[in-house]
Amino acid sequence: MLFIELIAQGLVQGSIYALIALGLTLVYGLLRILHVAHAALFTLGAYVGVLVCNASGSLAVAFVCAAVVAGIAGVLMYRLAYQPLLSQPPFVALIASIGLYIAAEEAFRIVFGAQGLSFTQPSLQGQVTLGGLQFKQAELMVMIGTVAIIAVLAWLQSRTRVGVACQATVSDPQMAESFGISLRQVRDINFFIGSALAGFAGVWVALLNNLVEPTMGSVPSYKALAIIVLGGLGSVPGTLAAALVLGVVEAFGTIYLGQLLDRNAIAFAFLIAVLMVRPQGLFARR
Amino acid sequence: MKSLPPFAPKLLAAAVALALPVGAAWADIKIGFNVPSTGFAAADGKSALDGAKLAVAEANAKGGIAGEKLELVVYDDQASPKEAVPAVTKMIEKDKVVVGVSGSYSGSTRAAASIFQKAQVPYVVAYAIHPDITLAGDYMFRVSAMGEVQGRGGAKLVQNLGKKNVVVITVKNDFGQSLAAGFKEGASELSLKIINEYEYGMADRQFGPLVSKVKADNPEVIYASGYYFNAGPLVSQLRAAGVTVPIIGQEGYDSEKFVDIAGPASEGTLITTSLDRDSDSTVTQTFLANFRKATGVGADMVAASSYTATSVAIEGLRKTGGKGGEALKNALASGTYDTPIGKLAFNDLHEVQKNLQVQIVKDKAFHRHSVISDAVLLAPPSKPK
Repeated sequence: MLFIELIAQGLVQGSIYALIALGLTLVYGLLRILHVAHAALFTLGAYVGVLVCNASGSLAVAFVCAAVVAGIAGVLMYRLAYQPLLSQPPFVALIASIGLYIAAEEAFRIVFGAQGLSFTQPSLQGQVTLGGLQFKQAELMVMIGTVAIIAVLAWLQSRTRVGVACQATVSDPQMAESFGISLRQVRDINFFIGSALAGFAGVWVALLNNLVEPTMGSVPSYKALAIIVLGGLGSVPGTLAAALVLGVVEAFGTIYLGQLLDRNAIAFAFLIAVLMVRPQGLFARR
Repeated sequence: MKSLPPFAPKLLAAAVALALPVGAAWADIKIGFNVPSTGFAAADGKSALDGAKLAVAEANAKGGIAGEKLELVVYDDQASPKEAVPAVTKMIEKDKVVVGVSGSYSGSTRAAASIFQKAQVPYVVAYAIHPDITLAGDYMFRVSAMGEVQGRGGAKLVQNLGKKNVVVITVKNDFGQSLAAGFKEGASELSLKIINEYEYGMADRQFGPLVSKVKADNPEVIYASGYYFNAGPLVSQLRAAGVTVPIIGQEGYDSEKFVDIAGPASEGTLITTSLDRDSDSTVTQTFLANFRKATGVGADMVAASSYTATSVAIEGLRKTGGKGGEALKNALASGTYDTPIGKLAFNDLHEVQKNLQVQIVKDKAFHRHSVISDAVLLAPPSKPK
């Protein structure tokens, strides 16, 4: 029973990792930038979600606002910080990204206060019993929500013109451009969608913990990097699988290795172990 | 800037350099205060700073000391030893503070302690509970009960509740580890049974796997250390998973935010702490009322302890007429203090002995549950012979 519960808890955590890491992998696939500041958009989404929900009383409105605000902020980050640096070596953008993240964290603290925010009337906190396992409603909804969103994205990517254009740009930007695809638009769309997912994940985490803090992005900021490396950089299905696997490994790790290794250390120990066997990542495309 | 002559920056620098000592001469008696204003502990830092500011404001409103105003010199140490060392060095050497107050965590306070000791500047510690701090030397004073003492008190509380089988959940830092050490010591004395132990990191907010395991352990009571930002999610996740046994926390939970975060799940949570909100002491009630008036929020343990540490320092300065050094050290050591966290007097190691307050969350607020006053069990350590 404990075994199944740990798998279930791992999948809940993995779903959140997946939402955050997806945006990161989209950006990496497109621009080869390790976008650390992505985690700031996750935090931003969480703040917007709590503020809007407390003001409007509607969780649905909160989700939409969080995703849209995070999405727009992501596009702005790209336009203002990354675009001017695209001709530089990749580490320049990485450093800019780290700086951006630190600045954002302090900005959240100054604007929203160090104490953090909570929902005044948190939703989805009830218990659900499913096949003998007990969940918080929010935990179940995270898994269902993640699957639904990813299914929609997969459909958009393979069935719509915009999706196909994105795929083409990732595999060969020059060729795509010569076929009349606007690189600028594709990048904007990618940043918007990836960042919106991070904002969306932020609201979920806010619901699970009922706490939004300036520093809540610090662990995801680097763990999401580990996940996209694990998934084979730039591969969307690989990232999804890696996020879920890591969630489950962590769930077991915290219980059976917790005295030896910190939870976050477990993730990196696992990453190192995998990379020793498969340097290209678990699910590399090439 | 273009219209300024080329020497303007130098002139400006000279003006600033000249202005600084002048400012220093005006500011009268300086109290150094290291506190985490940024970083992961910034929330506690804000409470601590509000508490210390209130103590200084009240003293100044009463006319300061010997006609001179008190000034709080605040440095951010991010609760990190490597930030604390330059901060307190500057405080002592540049600002020439006569006394230091720690409004920070154990890691940074330990690092600061030896610097204050070496400079022979008394250092009054509010809520950092690691044993090494007062061992740094005779210029160190601590107004709160050490981690080990609180841990032993926690074990006593388990016994008082009539329970035996405990699961211990520990936050992996100085705070959690010294609590766990004390708890285990008390548990073996009181023949409690620790059926399992877990550790988690400061950054953890998601405890799903741990909650599942604790549920399988089926304890009679849970002793979990942590801060409100860990404990809020932890308690709420334990309750959501159907774990109904009593949960015992400590002063890290002691914040209104804990109740905000855990919501209805927080009801019935017990904590051992130093602030008794239902105390009939006028000092405590006046402090609680004044703090709310000054900040708009209720005081927590960190605020009360920082207010106390600062007030104790000011009380000492009053006796010496504003002088620091050895005179202040002796004045502090010999004083007795009526504070919001109880009547205090320092022992030979400059630790305080006092009763442990047990508070329970009832109707969305902390209230008095019981008081643990076992003098032997709660005895602070004395000077190593």
